[in-house]
Amino acid sequence: MTDLSMHLNTDEIELWAQGLLPAARAIHLADCSLCRVEAERERKVILELVQLPKFAPSAGFADRVMTQVKIPTPSGDWEQRPS
Amino acid sequence: MFSLLYRMVRDRALAEDLAQETFIKVLNGIKSYRPEFKFSSWIFKIANNAAIDHLRRKSIDTLSLDGAPSAETPDQVRATSLQLGDRGESPLDEVESRELGTAIERAIARLRPEYRSCILLRHVEGYSYEEIADTLDLPLGTVKTYIHRARNELRGYLDDRRD
Repeated sequence: MTDLSMHLNTDEIELWAQGLLPAARAIHLADCSLCRVEAERERKVILELVQLPKFAPSAGFADRVMTQVKIPTPSGDWEQRPS
Repeated sequence: MFSLLYRMVRDRALAEDLAQETFIKVLNGIKSYRPEFKFSSWIFKIANNAAIDHLRRKSIDTLSLDGAPSAETPDQVRATSLQLGDRGESPLDEVESRELGTAIERAIARLRPEYRSCILLRHVEGYSYEEIADTLDLPLGTVKTYIHRARNELRGYLDDRRD
């Protein structure tokens, strides 16, 4: 059982940043300025990470890949897909 | 998966080559896929191995736009930083500079490759700690340590930038 007066550990800070911190530990956070500063710094980094954009390869990428993939034939052999 | 590779190697053309290599391995080796393993994790595992292998071969894991992490004086930082504009920057270089030039992207680039994989899988791809451990063949405790250290380093880099 967690001592409610203990400072939040990194797992708990991540839970808080995700809105998943159990209420009992949230009470400690509300009362502890040290934990609040630490949690807020961590939340900022996590927020920046989750907001990073997704990148896509250039047009024609899938076609370039498929030209090099071997396709199984009805006889069970493999053949190279023509480019 | 392409985003992970791109952020690992910070080179669009190279990331596409590694992504292509990954998909060809996946599609040609589909018979070796074990269904008890999450399919996307299998793809990420192959992609991550390709990126780590490349970084080890080329020893560019400490490459940084901001200069070597060991640089302590402004002169050392200047001497070890990449100067994108001073040797005929191509349109692709400009795209990369724009896409990966933000403070957080630069901070990610300064992390060790192992930390980088873990933090990207956790917070960009949304994997759980257990899924990351399975994907990267690492003990769960190691994954937690890497992610906590990575976040700590990122905070440090970002705080330095804001000061």
